[in-house]
Amino acid sequence: MKRKKNFNLIIGTVLTGLMLLLIVTGLFFLPYDPETMDIELKFAGMSPAHPFGCDNYGRDVFTRVMVGARTTLLVALGTVGIGAGAGILIGAFTGYFGGWVDEVVMRIIDALFAFPSILLALVVISLLGNGKLGVISLLLGSGKYQVILALGIAFIPSFARVVRSEYLKQREMDYVKNARIMGCGHLRIMFVHILPNIMPVLIPTVMIGFNNAVLSEAGMSYLGIGVQPPDASLGRMLSEAQTYLFSQPSYALFPGLTIVLLVLGFSLLADGLEER
Amino acid sequence: MKYVGKKIITMCLTLILVSFLVFLCFTVIPGDPALAKLGTEATPERVEALRKEMGLDRPFMVRYGDWLYSFVKGDMGESYSYGLPVKEMLADKVPITVTMSVMSILIIVAVSIPLGLYTAKHEGSVTDRVIYALNQVVMAVPAFFAGILITLLFGIVLKLFTPGGYISYNQSVAGFLGYMIFPSIAIALPKISMTVKLLRSGLIGEKKLDYTRTAYSRGNNTKGVLYKHVLKNAMLPIITFLGMTFTDIIAGSIIVEQVFGIPGMGRILLTSISNRDYPVVMAIIVCLAAAVIIINGLVDLVYQWIDPRIRLEGES
Repeated sequence: MKRKKNFNLIIGTVLTGLMLLLIVTGLFFLPYDPETMDIELKFAGMSPAHPFGCDNYGRDVFTRVMVGARTTLLVALGTVGIGAGAGILIGAFTGYFGGWVDEVVMRIIDALFAFPSILLALVVISLLGNGKLGVISLLLGSGKYQVILALGIAFIPSFARVVRSEYLKQREMDYVKNARIMGCGHLRIMFVHILPNIMPVLIPTVMIGFNNAVLSEAGMSYLGIGVQPPDASLGRMLSEAQTYLFSQPSYALFPGLTIVLLVLGFSLLADGLEER
Repeated sequence: MKYVGKKIITMCLTLILVSFLVFLCFTVIPGDPALAKLGTEATPERVEALRKEMGLDRPFMVRYGDWLYSFVKGDMGESYSYGLPVKEMLADKVPITVTMSVMSILIIVAVSIPLGLYTAKHEGSVTDRVIYALNQVVMAVPAFFAGILITLLFGIVLKLFTPGGYISYNQSVAGFLGYMIFPSIAIALPKISMTVKLLRSGLIGEKKLDYTRTAYSRGNNTKGVLYKHVLKNAMLPIITFLGMTFTDIIAGSIIVEQVFGIPGMGRILLTSISNRDYPVVMAIIVCLAAAVIIINGLVDLVYQWIDPRIRLEGES
């Protein structure tokens, strides 16, 4: 039988690669300055010089999309880093040791699950914005780092839940008992023995989490609570573009399509990897 | 019955825990509410007097109990910025969000079940593959971008509705429902593709099982087997999924409201967050979380009513 071609993997790799290329290129070279305004170019159409046209201030949309995609990627990576990192720690300890700590922590996680993650992030942002947490606010500034922390915290419950249920299963396995008899410490068993074994479950969770992070960041920036100026952000570009939807629909289309392609590429990649 | 009782008790405990967490966050961490309420006119004496008046000098647990008690009674406190009772501020917003959520769920069910059945029945056909590809794309579209695209297509190109021309249900119920269809579609779209994908793989999995073959061998035709036997079993995970989707629908409605300029819970939540109007924020968050918990609890109950295996497990 001929092996079926894994189209998901191919298309996903190509799309993700293109996006990464766009973002990495943007680190070294940008066609224009993303902040320079040129009123002569206001709503200039698509042209070789400005492939995506220009926005209401005459800024090059293509350049801003490159910078915005970079911000989005940074926020998503940070979010998944915090969410998965803390989620793995919490899930590993509660799942492995069980007992009343597990009960309490899991009840709290269950309760947090009742909040949509974007709502949770909004709560964290509104708490961070308060003066009492001055030290943290000062460290984080008000821009993207605050969003990363807020979304990261909001993503902890979903990771913790998955990791915990895996640890519950794994801790009964013979190899764990064996390692115990050989004299391994609990920490070593948890992170050297069990962690690699839950990777098949953890990796898809992380990839889905990454996509959710991209979508949440875009949503929050769209609401004006996410990434703040002067950082370019795809979500905020969309909310600015919406005002000019009548006169300049393409201004809204390109940042939106960039989000779609970013998420699509990554989810196809995840599907393709799972199929393999 | 034992299962139902147990479920209800867990639900209540979760509700109490959620309210406690919210109260804890908004009481311990932020600054002094009395100071916030007085703003620039604050003098130490006035702050002290107001703290006493607002009951802030009492122990934390007493305040929490008091807050919870009045919350359950329907008194959600008073907005710092507007001085209005929170209940009054939310009363006319709730129907908007509820309408939008219910409409989205209806759209999801009405579109995804026929599509799922069709793709599973014609597995591997061209239509099946086209729908699969479309699904993958639609899943990647954030709800607010879907909203912008819908505004562009239906509002500006086809002129089916006026973008931003929200019609209150006080003015015209038909106009209100007609306007709400578009945001509901925007919220429903990504969820439809997920439901179709899930239902399709569920149906195909069930089709391979022995009972399906038995049903065929007893002389049923494809239609009968698919609708009467297979769909019933494949629907079980879908019901759980729809329950979980409810959380996302609420989150989606907060954002999509902004796209379509609808003055619902989302807008008031956002303005309250930027105004640091914590009683309003707390009330909205607790209400939304309570809605999610209650809906998910109901879904669990419906689920065990449909699938007796779970009921038996719960009772043994």
